[in-house]
Amino acid sequence: MGIVRENRVEVKSMLTAVSSKPSRSARVHPFTTLDNAMSRHTLHVIVYYPRSPFGSFDLDSVRISLSELLSMYPPVVGRVAKTPDGILEVKRNDAGLRTLKAKVCVGIDEWLRSADGHDESDLTAWEDMPEDPSTWAPFRLQINEFEGGGVAIGLSCPHRQADATTLTVLLKSWTEAQRRRCIVHPPSFSPLPSILTDDTDAVKPNSAPISKPISTKTATATFRFSSSAFKKYIEEEGIFPKASPFDVFAALFWTRVALVKRKSHDRVCLCVDFRRLLPNPLPYGFFGNALNFSSLEMTNVADQGIGHVARLINDHVTNLTVEKIRSDLNRVGEQGLVYGGDLTIVNMEHMIVEGDPMMYDAVFEDGVRPVHVSYRIGNVGGEGVIMVMPSPEKGFGRVVSVTLPEEEMSKLLVDQEILRFEPKIILSGVK
Amino acid sequence: MPQAPMPELTSSVKLKYVKLGYQYLVNHFLSFLLIPIMAIGAVELLRMGPEEILNVWNSLEFDLVQVLCTSFFVIFISTVYFMSKPRTIYLVDYSCYKPPVTCRVPFATFMEHSRLILKDKPKSVEFQMRILERSGLGEETSLPPAIHYIPPTPTMDAARSEAQLVIFTAMDDLFKKTGLKPKDVDILIVNCSLFSPTPSLSAMVINKYKLRSNIKSVNLSGMGCSAGLISVDLARDLLQVHPNSNAIIVSTEIITPNYYQGNERAMLLPNCLFRMGAAAILMSNRRSDRWRAKYKLSHLVRTHRGSDDKSFYCVYEQEDKEGHVGINLSKDLMAIAGEALKANITTIGPLVLPASEQLLFLLSLIGRKIFNPKLKPYIPDFKLAFEHFCIHAGGRAVIDELQKNLQLSGEHVEASRMTLHRFGNTSSSSLWYELSYIESKGRMRRGDRVWQIAFGSGFKCNSAVWKCNRTIKTPKDGPWSDCIDRYPVFIPEVVKL
Repeated sequence: MGIVRENRVEVKSMLTAVSSKPSRSARVHPFTTLDNAMSRHTLHVIVYYPRSPFGSFDLDSVRISLSELLSMYPPVVGRVAKTPDGILEVKRNDAGLRTLKAKVCVGIDEWLRSADGHDESDLTAWEDMPEDPSTWAPFRLQINEFEGGGVAIGLSCPHRQADATTLTVLLKSWTEAQRRRCIVHPPSFSPLPSILTDDTDAVKPNSAPISKPISTKTATATFRFSSSAFKKYIEEEGIFPKASPFDVFAALFWTRVALVKRKSHDRVCLCVDFRRLLPNPLPYGFFGNALNFSSLEMTNVADQGIGHVARLINDHVTNLTVEKIRSDLNRVGEQGLVYGGDLTIVNMEHMIVEGDPMMYDAVFEDGVRPVHVSYRIGNVGGEGVIMVMPSPEKGFGRVVSVTLPEEEMSKLLVDQEILRFEPKIILSGVK
Repeated sequence: MPQAPMPELTSSVKLKYVKLGYQYLVNHFLSFLLIPIMAIGAVELLRMGPEEILNVWNSLEFDLVQVLCTSFFVIFISTVYFMSKPRTIYLVDYSCYKPPVTCRVPFATFMEHSRLILKDKPKSVEFQMRILERSGLGEETSLPPAIHYIPPTPTMDAARSEAQLVIFTAMDDLFKKTGLKPKDVDILIVNCSLFSPTPSLSAMVINKYKLRSNIKSVNLSGMGCSAGLISVDLARDLLQVHPNSNAIIVSTEIITPNYYQGNERAMLLPNCLFRMGAAAILMSNRRSDRWRAKYKLSHLVRTHRGSDDKSFYCVYEQEDKEGHVGINLSKDLMAIAGEALKANITTIGPLVLPASEQLLFLLSLIGRKIFNPKLKPYIPDFKLAFEHFCIHAGGRAVIDELQKNLQLSGEHVEASRMTLHRFGNTSSSSLWYELSYIESKGRMRRGDRVWQIAFGSGFKCNSAVWKCNRTIKTPKDGPWSDCIDRYPVFIPEVVKL
């Protein structure tokens, strides 16, 4: 494809948002083995609002609530430093959150219709970590104002330092601080429970094995499935009643992607957040990575019925015990790239708390809910990533974001099995 | 060994009592003289008895005309005295600006921005870091929003919005505290040294608050960090001429347009020290304000050393080799400040020092002039004249120098040091933050005397002496309300960055 992509996002200014109170503590935050395994990836969350809570920007009350919130998150405003042994850790030096302001030359609806994964990455700010990270800001916020109103708030960080739940809770807490509500999930900086870390080695130095660089161009698309589509499928296909929407949609996409890839594609990597799966559950506010990556195999998956695959996935997830989580922790990152080394399916069911999807409850002004929330992983491997995310409408609907090599994606977009569900396809770059 | 300290202790205790006795004697000399005379007079009267007193009285032969003339004369003299007495100038109340938390500048952020902006000049970055480490500033000082950008965006619009933010917030607070209506303001003086737009900042205030058309407004610019006391002096003079009036003084320094963008070391110094701040003060000569006013102005002394070239050039605004404008601070700044202070003390000493100190000073002066020029000059003990000191928080070196010269204790300079730590050098308004600190600590009692000393480019040294009019309750709001319990803090000589 020789089309030069025009950049529709223009960065206007950059400043550093500081916390409201000095941290007054010399505590440092080391990285766990899991954190270090994630070091090749970056994480970006983009929340789209139809109306911007920002005004003049410099004197907005939203900035003040951000500063107050940042006082609760010292690692977000701290800086990465190397110990004399070459091990990385986060120092609580209060340097601040780098904040950029940008303007998008199209309206928010036009953007959601016509932008693709690469365009979305313009909505977030990122710079790779240099040799000397003392002035490098790991966490970056970008406020993108759309033509005619609407805003996209993009928060980026190295995946080594936080996972999607951490960033979602941070953004939600910011909106709670702004509306002067009680913060439902305050951050917790305690280490992972010892039951998980007992027989891991001492922290390995940060050299992941080198995997082949990703040479294929990737494309992303987001499929929005309604609640009724799920119910229809359950009835028509007679899927077992205990199937969760994740099971069904994951099975659907696994089989269809396997078909498109034309391999028998036996193996996927399932990513599940284990905060609530432990016998002593970690709070949602746990800061850092709490993800379980486990392999799931099935022969000739493309020919299998969705119900069969869904049952396999359901059993796998239900049987995640502490021992299984611990052994998976020991093996994570052995291949280098965690996301995309095998086709990776990400489960975000835990973000639905009492029927309410957490990210869509991040509301600055009453009545102005996010219209869409995107999660993007940087440096994804060649096999691709499927993310099954909650839908803005409560219920059984889901939003599935797929990242695949370009050719495979173009075939997937016309796949009849998927189109049967009448999904609304956004952010796929269709002009 | 235990014997040796004992004599020193007893001798120093003896000396202290001698000094105390001497001070009581000289300061209350007239009372000491008067008491024996009154006693003798009383004894004499008692001895004479009532008949003899009446006889003496009748022998004086007063007649009506003489009595009338004498009383008329007395009334005339007292009227002339009361009319020519200068009006008492009251400081009704004042309000200091507290910046929002988004403007806070932690050390790490300051150094990070410095490294990112001056990436080709590591030596300049090193210099800034060394200054910041030893500056005495804390982690909660504030810079205006435009300076937080990488690179800073010091447009004129940004400077105006900083001016509006700090001045209007301080004035709103002052109006609320004093219950004054904007249309009742008679005199307005705004001083801001380095930002002077057209229309002036005082016109901006008049426009915002819809002040009266016959208001006497003055805008002072270019007068440096001592302009706050110059404004007070001007207000005092105007209030002598206009009866039954009040005056609002706004002291501030607008940082946005003056943030040095080059890399000349001597000119990077102000970037490390100057911070955002403002104060609004209400002064009045109305008799009705004497119950609610916080302070009375006793003296105001201005000293200008501009006639000396070295003093004139020591704080000099100029362009560097690349055309960036900044303020060059010379290395002799401390010495020049010391000289200016000496000149100021020479004038203010006789006005405020008790007679005991003045006598000692006179004797030592005579001794040096006539007998032995090598005698050490006697430094009067100003702690006897004042309960509180507000030394302009120009920098740690200034406060150290003055503490040494005036032989002040740590508690006397605590207000200055803590203001430097919490708010940085806010230029002309820093004296008001310091005064607010003393009030917030609950140390200000009725009758206490406060000495405010300000230094400024030129080179000027201005002093104001206030007397507390009523014991001030710890204020519930104000710039120190959320952090006063943490103060005083220990400020290390060098903060490791």
